[in-house]
Amino acid sequence: MNTLNSLLLAGAVALAAPSLSHAAPPDNTIVVGLSADAATFDPAQISSRDNSNIAKHIFATLFTVNFEGEVTPYLVDETSVSADGLSYTFTLKDGLTCEDGEPLTAEDVAYSFNRPADKSLAFTGNTPGFVYTTLGFKSAEAVDDLNVKINLSAKTTLALGMMSQVYIHCKDSYEAMTPEEAADKPIGSGSYRLASWDRGSQIVLEKVKDPGNFETIIWRIIPEASTRTAELIAGNVDIITNVSPDQAPAIDSSGSAAVAKVNGTRRMQVGFNLGKGVEGMPGAKEIQDPKVRHALQYAVDVPGICSQLLGTECTRMTSLVNPPNDNPELTPIPYDPDKAEQLLDEAGYPRNAEGVRFSIRLQGPRGRYLNDANVVQAIGQYLSDVGVQTEVELLEWATVYSPLLRTKEMGPLFFLGQGGVTWNPLYDMSLFSTPDGATNYQSWTDQRWFDDWKLAVDADTVEEARPVINRMLKLFHEEGPWLLLYFQPDFYGVSNRIEWTPRRDEEIDLFNATLKS
Amino acid sequence: MWTFIIRRLLQSAIVIIGVTLITFTALQMSGDPTYLYVSERATDEEIQRTREALGFDKPLPEQYLTFLGNLAQGDFGNSLSYKRPALDAVLEALPATLELTLFAMFLAIVVAIPLGVVASLNRGSAVDGSIMTVGMLGQSIPSFWLGIMMIMFFGLQMRILPISGHVPFIMPLLSGDWAQAFRNLPQALYYLIMPGFAVAFYSISRNARLVRSSMLEVLGQDFVRTARAKGISERAVVIRHALRNAWLPVVTMIGLEFGFLIGGVVVVEMVFSWPGIGRLVFNAINQRDIPVVQAAVVILALVFIALNLIVDLVYAKIDPRVKL
Repeated sequence: MNTLNSLLLAGAVALAAPSLSHAAPPDNTIVVGLSADAATFDPAQISSRDNSNIAKHIFATLFTVNFEGEVTPYLVDETSVSADGLSYTFTLKDGLTCEDGEPLTAEDVAYSFNRPADKSLAFTGNTPGFVYTTLGFKSAEAVDDLNVKINLSAKTTLALGMMSQVYIHCKDSYEAMTPEEAADKPIGSGSYRLASWDRGSQIVLEKVKDPGNFETIIWRIIPEASTRTAELIAGNVDIITNVSPDQAPAIDSSGSAAVAKVNGTRRMQVGFNLGKGVEGMPGAKEIQDPKVRHALQYAVDVPGICSQLLGTECTRMTSLVNPPNDNPELTPIPYDPDKAEQLLDEAGYPRNAEGVRFSIRLQGPRGRYLNDANVVQAIGQYLSDVGVQTEVELLEWATVYSPLLRTKEMGPLFFLGQGGVTWNPLYDMSLFSTPDGATNYQSWTDQRWFDDWKLAVDADTVEEARPVINRMLKLFHEEGPWLLLYFQPDFYGVSNRIEWTPRRDEEIDLFNATLKS
Repeated sequence: MWTFIIRRLLQSAIVIIGVTLITFTALQMSGDPTYLYVSERATDEEIQRTREALGFDKPLPEQYLTFLGNLAQGDFGNSLSYKRPALDAVLEALPATLELTLFAMFLAIVVAIPLGVVASLNRGSAVDGSIMTVGMLGQSIPSFWLGIMMIMFFGLQMRILPISGHVPFIMPLLSGDWAQAFRNLPQALYYLIMPGFAVAFYSISRNARLVRSSMLEVLGQDFVRTARAKGISERAVVIRHALRNAWLPVVTMIGLEFGFLIGGVVVVEMVFSWPGIGRLVFNAINQRDIPVVQAAVVILALVFIALNLIVDLVYAKIDPRVKL
């Protein structure tokens, strides 16, 4: 009987504790629901978008990409560039400090740049990998307390934008840390400090200095989309990411939150694999013809896909470059199946007795991009409708799709989304910097493009390169290796309690979030 | 009994080697994991350098033997995505999963047995029919769907239970902070109700049916008739005589139950944002984080083996016919 009483008591305690549930956040706190936890806070190891979204509030950077998509100085007061464009000298602002109060000097900035590049430490994050490869980083050195010099192996107009991704931290504190401490107990240079990290549950940041409109930021890890939606509607979180279109009506009609949509910078495409990886496969020979590739652009109803499957209107792509840096003379290719059929006839691929022009395989990932499986199936149907018999194959991303992509054995048609930026067209175009480059998944070898690429990167400014860039984008529009679809729309759920506008580049910038009065 | 335990431990070592071999082979069959750990723009040299640094360039048997050798020293290698020892990541997530699984097992026993007894004592009645209908539903409803429905109803509409999250109890207990653990207990239980029930619902249903049929069989036996003939109260007949014999199959199920519940927690942990091993393994598989998957599978296999051993020992204790 005593046991029964104990059980009843425990039950009563549990049921009498509704006040213990997640309550609405206090006014000085903002709560963000993310789908994935951070892996590390070691600035040289951070690699995922969710991870860097949090780290951006802990670590400051020399430059930052503002809401309008422009690269602007943050820790830097003045910039000078050597005549050959291979050395950048930055004068830091006065009075900078790290979170522990240690003054932040040029030596710390040089250390922050050199540490990720140290091969003996074998870092595998975004900075030593993608950023330094693109930047052509060679070394960094302190000139004096306020001036730091960054040396590059090649001139590039991407330099400042790429440097905006390198997290700055203080040398003394990091030299004294073990790798585990660097991962778990960051000492940053930004507005917030890591107060606690319950792995898999939540990460709490506390404000240490301006800017920042909230004293506390809580990042709650909520992997399941419907649970994130429920937490938002219940008022327990203020912002949620990756809202699926089918949940948008529930959020909008809740009265407590609304969906904020932004046309992102991720470029959704069907890639034409023109390389040896699919040589001999059905359809591989036919898509070598630029006329066929151009014809297929007319076959797919992109606005229809957006409205029916993504629940919104999309910004159409005219090339691989994000607006406003794209070629203003180009307009999206309209949905015109008759024109597609006419062009395919002219290209020498008429329908046979069964109504088929040729067969081809279209591969796509499942669960990687917004409603990807349905979008891929719809594209397959549109292509089949104009006589290109399309076999759709949906694959798991991490274990199957990604390895095939890296070895360039996808397709011959494959669905892909690639991140882009708003601050420099050459960043978006650099996917095709060489015919055999790692990101040239399509193995596109058009010599006109690569000749122009050299001219574009040799220019001192983007403005100077603009005529060449526009010519390249026109070529890409007409004969390129992508079936141009749309810039992926991103959906966020935002509580009515706060004012916040999402950015195009998938960065969650809470510095522009405020409490509604 | 000691001979039995030693024999079982030796068998367990073989099972563990089998588990590691199967896990290792299955994950390696899905391709070269190096590409997950280099940037999109990595050159061939960088890819090769990373492959060598992570040991993926070595022949598979060598990679496996290295793994086994390290395993013997408790070293599962570093997590490729968390950049820290894989065992640490798994052991950190284990308490949350144990909380959920043990709570679900608790529900699967304390709810199922009374339901099964009541159904058997009211065979053919509306009460029996209702319990069996619920039991059938419980075995038909997927746990993730049940979880989402519970969130919608109890979390969002009625707002009497938390939608997601976790308050630790075992972790502070293990770290010696008993005061904190017991301060957390009411909240920990509160947060456990929905995910625990979502995990346990299938087992409750199955166990209730099992107890019912077992009880019906026992209630018809001679010794129960004799007990009734001796004038023992019906309550004593049911609890002391019939139920004591009827729950032997249930005890057998408990050992197997753990493995089943562990399978169920993967989706439930995702739905309720529960920071346990299920979610960890799910993410690790997606990222092909081989060390974490191997560490998790081996640790869970060890727990499963230990639990089954305990069940066997308990079984021998409560059933004098069983000799070890």
